[in-house]
Amino acid sequence: MDPVVLSIWILRLVFLALLYWFLWTVVRILLRDLRAAAREPGAELGRLLVLASPGGEPAVGAAFSLDAVTTLGRDVNNTIVVDDEFASGSHAVLTYRGRTWYVEDLGSTNGTFVNGHPVDGIAAIAFGDELQLGNVRLRLERARR
Amino acid sequence: MTLAAGSRLHPRLRRRELALLVIGALALTVGSVTLALTRRLASGDPPGAETGFPLADGAALAAYLAALFGAHAVLVLTGRRTDQVLLPTVGLLGGISLLLMERLPQDLAGGLGGLASTQLVWLIGSVAVITTIAALIRSDAWLRLYKYTWAAFGVGLLLLTFVAGREVNGQRLTLAIGPFSGQPSELLKVILVVFLAGYLSENRALLVEQSTRLGPIRLPPLPYLAPMVAMWALALSIVVVQRDLGAALLFFAVFLLLLYVTTGRASFVALGLVAFVAGGAVLYEIVPHVRTRVDIWVDPFATASGAGYQVVQALHAFARGGILGTGLGAGLPEVGSLPPGGIPALHTDFPLAALGEELGLIGVMAILGLYLVVIERGLRIAASAADDFRAILAAGLSLVIGVQAFIIAAGNLKLIPLTGITLPFISYGGSSLLTNGLVVGLLIALSDRGVEPPPPPTARRGIRRVFDRGAP
Repeated sequence: MDPVVLSIWILRLVFLALLYWFLWTVVRILLRDLRAAAREPGAELGRLLVLASPGGEPAVGAAFSLDAVTTLGRDVNNTIVVDDEFASGSHAVLTYRGRTWYVEDLGSTNGTFVNGHPVDGIAAIAFGDELQLGNVRLRLERARR
Repeated sequence: MTLAAGSRLHPRLRRRELALLVIGALALTVGSVTLALTRRLASGDPPGAETGFPLADGAALAAYLAALFGAHAVLVLTGRRTDQVLLPTVGLLGGISLLLMERLPQDLAGGLGGLASTQLVWLIGSVAVITTIAALIRSDAWLRLYKYTWAAFGVGLLLLTFVAGREVNGQRLTLAIGPFSGQPSELLKVILVVFLAGYLSENRALLVEQSTRLGPIRLPPLPYLAPMVAMWALALSIVVVQRDLGAALLFFAVFLLLLYVTTGRASFVALGLVAFVAGGAVLYEIVPHVRTRVDIWVDPFATASGAGYQVVQALHAFARGGILGTGLGAGLPEVGSLPPGGIPALHTDFPLAALGEELGLIGVMAILGLYLVVIERGLRIAASAADDFRAILAAGLSLVIGVQAFIIAAGNLKLIPLTGITLPFISYGGSSLLTNGLVVGLLIALSDRGVEPPPPPTARRGIRRVFDRGAP
C-alpha cells in the first residue's frame, strides 16, 4: 500500500481518537466537579448573609446555612439570634416549601421588611431579596453548590 | 461594569484549561496534516510540493491556535476563578470549523481573500470577545437593571429588520447599515435571554404560587400570562414576516425551557407547546414557505432534484460517511458547490452534513458531545449561581447554544423540518460567531463566585401581595 495513503488512514483515526481523548478528559473534569459538589454538606437550602448589624450579633458578613424552618429573633432559642434593640424575642420565621422560601412575621413589635416593604402575614421571597428585622439587614442567597 | 484594576493582578494557573487546550491543539494539528496530505494526494503533486492555495497549509490554524493560547494567557494573568472547560471546548469547535472552511471551495463567500481566511478573522474575533468579556465583566448589574431597556432595544432591532431588512433566499434576515451588515436575530437571542432572566426572576414567586384555574388546566396568573402570549405572537410574527422558522423555533423553545427552569411546572410548557403547534398548523395553511419546508421534511425524495435537493444531498453525504467517515478532505470534491453533487449553502446551513461525510458517525457524535459539554457547564454555573437572575441567565445562555445546535443538527439529519440557522461556532458567518462568543464570554464571567454581589433589589411589584395568615 502506498505509504502516503496509509499514513493518511492512520492520521484520520488518530484525529478521531484525539477528539475522544479531549471529550474523555472533559468528562473526567466534569465528574470530579460533580463529586466535589456532592461531597459538600448537602441539604443546604439557602444561605442568609448578614449585610448590616449595628449590635454586632450576628456579625456583619456572617453567612448562615438555612434549614427548612429557621427562626429569627432576640430570644436565645432562635435558630439565628438577632441581638438588636428593635427586634422582638420571637421575630420572624423562614420556611422552605415547594421550591420557594417564605417569610412569616411572628407578630413582632417593629415588623419584618422585605426589600423595604413590611410583611403582613406570610410573603414569598426570592433569592437575592433583602430582609430587615429592626436594624439588622440580611440577604437570602442560593445555597453554594 | 467595573474594569479589572491593573494594580490587583494576581495571576492564577489554569491547569485544566491548559491541558484541554493542548489536547485540542494536538487534534486540530493532526486534522490539518491529514487535510493537507489528502489534498496533495488528490491534486497529484508529490508530497511536499507547494500547492497554490490561498493560505499556506497550516498557517491559518497556527494563527487560530495562537489566538486560543493568547486567550488562555490573558485569563491566567487576570487570575479569576472561572470556568476552565468552556474556552477549550468552544475553541475545538471553532478549529473544526476552520478545517472545514479550508477544505471547501474558497469562492463560496468572503471578502477577505476567500472562505477560510474570512472565517479565520471572525473566529479570532470571537475568541477576542470571549476573552474580553470573561476577563473584564465583574458585575451583571448593567444587564439586570435595564432589562426593559434591553427588551425595547431588541424589539426595535426586530422591527427594523422587518421594515428595512434585505431579503436573501426569500428570508428577510439581514440588516445592512452602511458597510456593516449582520443578522440581528443572532443578537436578539441574547437580548431575549437577558430579558427573560430579569422578568422571570422578578416574578418567580408569583408564577409558582398563584395560578388561574381553567377547568382541569392550571394557567399562570392572568396578569403574568400577557408576556407569554406576547412571546408566542412574537415567534409567530417572525415566521410570517421574516420567514425565519429557525429563529422562531429557537426563541420559543428557549422561552419554554426557561419558564420550566423557573417554575418547575410542566403544565406551562405543555400549554406553550400546544399553542405553538396550533399556531404552526395555521401557518402551514397560510404561509407557503412553511408548507414547503414541512413537505420537504415529510418526503424530500418526492422533489429530489427540486426543493428537496439540499436535504437529499445531505442525507447522501451522511450515508457516504458511514461510521468512520471518508477522512478530512476526502469527501466529494465538489461538495458545497452548485449542483450537481454538492449541497447548496453548505458552509452556513449544512456544515454538519460535510463533517458527517468526512468524520463519520463517530466524528459527528464527538461534535454533538462537545455541545453537550457546553450545556452541562452552563447548567452547573446556573446551579451554583448566587441568586435567581444569575441562575436563569446562565441556564438560558447555555440553552441558547444547545437548542440552536440541536435545531440545525436535527434539521440536517431530517429529524425535524430544516430551518436555516447556524451551527454555533462551526457555521460560516460573523454575526453568529461574534454573538456566540459573547454568550460564552458571559458564561465564563458568571462562573466566578467571587463576582460582585447582586445589587440590592429594587422594590418589586407584587412583593406587597401577601398571603392571609392561616387559621388564627
